[in-house]
Amino acid sequence: MRSTLLKTLRLFGLMTAVVGLLLLALAPVFGNEFTDSLWQVEPMAYVGAAVLLLGLVIALSAYLIGPAQRPANGQTPVRGWSRVTQDYFDTFSHDMGRPFRRILGKEREVRARVEESGQDLPPAVQELLDEIEQQAPSFRLMLANVRVLVELEDPDAAIGYEPVDPVAIVRNIADRYAGIAAERDAELTWWSEPAEFGLVYGDASALDHVVTNLVDNAVKYATRHVELRVTRNPTHYFIRVWDDGPGVPAAHFPHLFDRGWTPEMAGRRERTSSGLGLYIARTLARRAGGEIAVESATNSADREDVNVSHYTTMTVMLPLSKPTTEG
Amino acid sequence: MTQQSSRGRGEKILVVDDEHSSDLMRSVLRRLEREGFRPIVVSPEGPRVTGDDFEIQTLFAVEEERPAAVLLDVRFGEYDEDRFKGLTILKRITDRDRSLPVLMFTQYAQGPYRDTAVAASLSVNAPVDFIDKLASPDEVVLRLRRLIGAAPERIQIGTLYELDADNGTVYAVSDGQREPIREIQGMKFEILKELAAALYRSEGELVPFSRLERFSDGEDSRASLRVRIREIKVALGKAAGRNFSADELIINVRNRGYRLVPPRA
Repeated sequence: MRSTLLKTLRLFGLMTAVVGLLLLALAPVFGNEFTDSLWQVEPMAYVGAAVLLLGLVIALSAYLIGPAQRPANGQTPVRGWSRVTQDYFDTFSHDMGRPFRRILGKEREVRARVEESGQDLPPAVQELLDEIEQQAPSFRLMLANVRVLVELEDPDAAIGYEPVDPVAIVRNIADRYAGIAAERDAELTWWSEPAEFGLVYGDASALDHVVTNLVDNAVKYATRHVELRVTRNPTHYFIRVWDDGPGVPAAHFPHLFDRGWTPEMAGRRERTSSGLGLYIARTLARRAGGEIAVESATNSADREDVNVSHYTTMTVMLPLSKPTTEG
Repeated sequence: MTQQSSRGRGEKILVVDDEHSSDLMRSVLRRLEREGFRPIVVSPEGPRVTGDDFEIQTLFAVEEERPAAVLLDVRFGEYDEDRFKGLTILKRITDRDRSLPVLMFTQYAQGPYRDTAVAASLSVNAPVDFIDKLASPDEVVLRLRRLIGAAPERIQIGTLYELDADNGTVYAVSDGQREPIREIQGMKFEILKELAAALYRSEGELVPFSRLERFSDGEDSRASLRVRIREIKVALGKAAGRNFSADELIINVRNRGYRLVPPRA
């Protein structure tokens, strides 16, 4: 409502200014045509100048008032293009999510009815239901990844800093993926040291996103185990995501965090993921003054504290508080 | 997911969502009931139900039903003005009762709208958490449990056992009858309680050795802990006529700590 009024006001101001400009420009012409006296021209020129000035004042005021308006519900105003893109994406993800929510709902309804009846499902049907359920977190992550990509494209995007409980975030992610891991015959465990970890200062949304991408990856490749561990030192905290999957070949290391790179690309096979997760995770970690370190063994190497010969560890290192700007 | 690890004790959960009759929400309601909660659905009627109708009925239901928690959607319907109606309702709820836990269903788990939602929840200074609409019913229950409070006095360990923290006893459960397991007392009870509380909070939570070794004595506390864990497993197995192997009930996870896994009946 208010924006429509401002738009109308801007248009009115500009049109008034144009009329004023025309009056000013044409004053000598009409003045000469209708009267021989220059004195007759002057009032028309004065009126034109006044109308031009008035029009410009109205248009300028409308432009100045415009950016000061606050969106409803106390949202922080975001720069134009980013907000518009986010709005489009929000509508898109809501609409795209609807059919998936319906499919997921039907799947859960079927599962419940079958459980109630005590019947055994044919393996192919069971597989289908499991597949739909397993795709839910990936679908959530895919939508979130695209949204974060839009945010990352904004060069002026600011990092949010708030008190964050990293253990709560890891616990929530573990809850989300424990069932998926179990359906793939893997076990997901997590812990924190110290147990009473406390709060850090950072961007909860970004942290959730970084760790979710790493866990999604780990669960996808794990053979039997996925482990999440939260630790800290006096300046940083660390979230380690470990899986006993086949490991990352040394040749793939330089490309792991490349945008759009997937292991299938190296083998010229069909891609099973977008290759955005790790790129986004590292970009977000670095933006917050942190880093993601990778360690992996494909078969022969062995470490004292790891009882399997193939594994991948991704460790997110983030500062406990907001990095101070030097200078 | 441990469907039997604990039970809501008939606590009411107020469900406020314009899509409450969808299959997805029905699965959540069914799961809440199985967990022992009593879901109460806010469902205004009329030719054109708006977010305002939900707001009025929710506030009325909070007063009338005195729920233990509220499951609240952020977005109501397709009208732009109802895009954040859930946040308005949240504010109105917490104006009345700041201690009432609210779990918000939202598609805005990330991005600027998430920040809007978080900012709104921080401003109300109440126990508020957010969960994605595509979350599994198990995830919803876990979040609700944690929002409602610490581990309850009684924690069910699968269908076979129940730990009663109040009177310091573990029971074997069979055909609805509870039989106390006398062998698990003192430090052994404390170890099992620690493991059961972790299971209640999050199924995958491992209890590191460091947290359990305080219940052990002797020069080698790790060895002492190992012995106590073995004794607990034997006592629990004996009471239920079972013999638990190394990868059942209480599991040593890659030499880092222990995890309680509810036994199958």
